[in-house]
Amino acid sequence: MATTTVDFEKQFAELGLGEGWKWDKGSWWLEPAEPMDVRAVAQKMLALEGRFVAITATERPDHEIRLDYQWDLNGNLLSFVAATTDNKKIASIVDLSPGADWAERETYEYFAVEFTGRATLEPLMLRAGQDVGVHLHKEEAAQ
Amino acid sequence: MSFRIPIGPYHPALEEPYKIELTCEGETVRDAVMNIGFNFRGIEYLAERRNYYQGITLVERVCGICSNVHAMSYCMCAEKLAAIEVPERALYIRSIMAELERLHSHLLWCGVAAKLIGFKTIFMACFSLREKVMDALSAISGNRVNYGMNCIGGVNRDVDDPQAVLAILDELERAIGKDIAPIFLYDKTVAARCKGVGILTKEQAFAMGAVGPQARASGYAQDLRKAAPYAAYERFQFDVPVETAGDVQARAVVHALEMIESCKILRQALSTLPEGPFQAKVAPRFKAPAGTAVSRAEAPRGEVLYVISSDGKEIPSRVRVRTPTFMNMATVRLAVLGQELADSPLIQASCDPCYSCTDR
Repeated sequence: MATTTVDFEKQFAELGLGEGWKWDKGSWWLEPAEPMDVRAVAQKMLALEGRFVAITATERPDHEIRLDYQWDLNGNLLSFVAATTDNKKIASIVDLSPGADWAERETYEYFAVEFTGRATLEPLMLRAGQDVGVHLHKEEAAQ
Repeated sequence: MSFRIPIGPYHPALEEPYKIELTCEGETVRDAVMNIGFNFRGIEYLAERRNYYQGITLVERVCGICSNVHAMSYCMCAEKLAAIEVPERALYIRSIMAELERLHSHLLWCGVAAKLIGFKTIFMACFSLREKVMDALSAISGNRVNYGMNCIGGVNRDVDDPQAVLAILDELERAIGKDIAPIFLYDKTVAARCKGVGILTKEQAFAMGAVGPQARASGYAQDLRKAAPYAAYERFQFDVPVETAGDVQARAVVHALEMIESCKILRQALSTLPEGPFQAKVAPRFKAPAGTAVSRAEAPRGEVLYVISSDGKEIPSRVRVRTPTFMNMATVRLAVLGQELADSPLIQASCDPCYSCTDR
């Protein structure tokens, strides 16, 4: 019998990945009402042998940044939707998942999101001294 | 006493710019710091200011090697956003183009690797064969680099003469199986230069999120064509070559064996190409409903990810591109530690880096 999206939702809940998973436009999304603990998500995903895929930053009209943490779990792409708080800050997961290092540094440089709890955010795409949060900034959001 | 050796942004082995600063004790590499971004063109920024049709043309120029997979992934993402069902024939043609692209990309890598190893005969053989793949791509699409094959809802051109491509494939399959693959698998010169060099363990590959041949050479077996099939890959029988040594030779072997598997896929796709249309009907002024969609594909270098957000207008509100080299290049730091300085160009090249992709 084919596995349905309802089966997957149950499986994700049983695996401790939270409730409220939504199958939308061909992949899985979790956007809880409460601020997401991205470190707890990373710990859980790594315990399940999930692979870190990407951080997708999106600038909202209110200047806050939406951050989708994409993880692969056995071929399923899971997107955990988080948002920055306190003026574009979010906890770093690089000590848990070293693969997130370049993703965090890139997000910092292009969106000025500060990842707290990591030692440094050395330049990756930019050169030392260049302004961060400029390259992918939306002009209409800044106005 | 340690020395810091800055290399780049113009690289001694590769054609693209990036910077790596190696800290060495004698001839042994003790640390490496990397800088990228020299090829930044603001592709994501530009894509958020162009309509979906213009976006296809734009993202096809993210990379000059795997241009097709970028356009295909972008279209797949837009199709998910708008719930468009792509005709079966178009799915087959997308798979054919993707495998031809993998073949020419892997032949390019094998040629460059052979040159760095000091095996110039194989370099010449690989590039000669690559021309035949380019001929096939050109025969199908009319182009050698940016093929313009993908559109939202399918493909722009049909494969009119599968038999002609099959004839090219006969020659390719024979040469790759008889000449190229055995060199990387069994030749003593290649083994002497590559075996035990630049090791990346499975644990390191997984922790760093490595993808594609770089991960599969370290024993991490995921290939999206099997794990999360797209286009017509579910219909084809093929294996995913996996090596466990994690060294440069393992990467070479995985590339060589993947070319043989690509030939298998191509033979099946071209022999069983279904009849029917190759484009779904899509409104001339395409607008996607509000929402966010994600698509992934197995590019020649590994997983490529596209995220497109729409607010219901003709222009996407967010386009995100995460390329395979963005994940793989960070693993070079681990692979060069403790290695000879003279081996570092080969180790860097062995992850099949593409900086146009990485920097976007």
